[in-house]
Amino acid sequence: MTEETPNEPFDEVEYRRRQRSRANLMAWMLGALAILFFFITIAKMQIFS
Amino acid sequence: MAQSLTHGETALPADWRDLFALTKPRVMSLVVFTALCGLLAAPGHVPPVLAFSSILAIALGAGASGALNQWYEAGLDAKMKRTAGRPLPAGRLDPQTALQFGVGLAAFSLFLMLFASNWQATLLLAASILFYVFVYTMWLKPRTPQNIVIGGAAGAFPPLIGWVAATGSIAPLPVLLFLLIFLWTPPHFWALALFMRSDYAAAGIPMMPVVAGEKSTRRQILVYALIMAVAAIAPWPLGYTGALYGWTAVVLSAVFVLLSVQVGTRTTGEGDLMQPEKRLFAYSIAYLFILFGAVVADHWWPL
Repeated sequence: MTEETPNEPFDEVEYRRRQRSRANLMAWMLGALAILFFFITIAKMQIFS
Repeated sequence: MAQSLTHGETALPADWRDLFALTKPRVMSLVVFTALCGLLAAPGHVPPVLAFSSILAIALGAGASGALNQWYEAGLDAKMKRTAGRPLPAGRLDPQTALQFGVGLAAFSLFLMLFASNWQATLLLAASILFYVFVYTMWLKPRTPQNIVIGGAAGAFPPLIGWVAATGSIAPLPVLLFLLIFLWTPPHFWALALFMRSDYAAAGIPMMPVVAGEKSTRRQILVYALIMAVAAIAPWPLGYTGALYGWTAVVLSAVFVLLSVQVGTRTTGEGDLMQPEKRLFAYSIAYLFILFGAVVADHWWPL
């Protein structure tokens, strides 16, 4: 599926941009999940109490 | 052969927009909506955060199914105009990343469902993902023109999962809603297949118009539309919904059948613009959205 293109110059700016945008997105998603899991736990505790 | 964004041994990280596109967001919107309606129409109260988390889990499960479907069908997608621009056939994403993303998302959706809801809903979500990927995508779709008929079951799961997430058990109404989407799928996709016939033929996918011909497909669209209309109206006389849903189902289903009669009884010549088929396809999407909205409205504000 992949074709190597070793003669093309490596676009380090694009590489870093994508790396940074994915890292930022991952950080936001992990933060949101932590908050979501906290509230799920609280809701479950209220149901079972 | 698609060219990927690789430079020697170093591959560019996938752009998040391509990963998002892999989840088929437009299909996901219908999945989320029908699942939400199943959940909201269920008896009892679900804390909003648990309801939100259950719907999120269903959405992620649907996204995982879409990603794994695109991973498996990358070769076929490259042959069809409609799908050639997707991240995998266009070479913007490498297959390994797509596979890992799909499997990871599926596992996480099941974990989230189990954590936020119950094991019954988790089991149904797992069954729907496995059914879509293994039974529909890998087994039925490339082999039989009945692929849409049986494979439609995968798309029919969301309202059932939504209901079970809220109640922990299955009841007749969500089963009827399952049946409604199951019977809605063939006329919906065959209308699309009629005006996308050349695309499917080029990819070698045995869709009904390609294998059985237009005339047979049109007749079957009409037959399924009639059975679907009966299934759509059934919850009212059976006493599972009230008049608000009932009359909505009667009027919308009558229009659906009328549009299907137009499609089912016509013959086309060279250069036909396929307007009735496109109209039926567009209407079928609105039909499902409004009908499921009516299920919830009927539950919350009965006449």
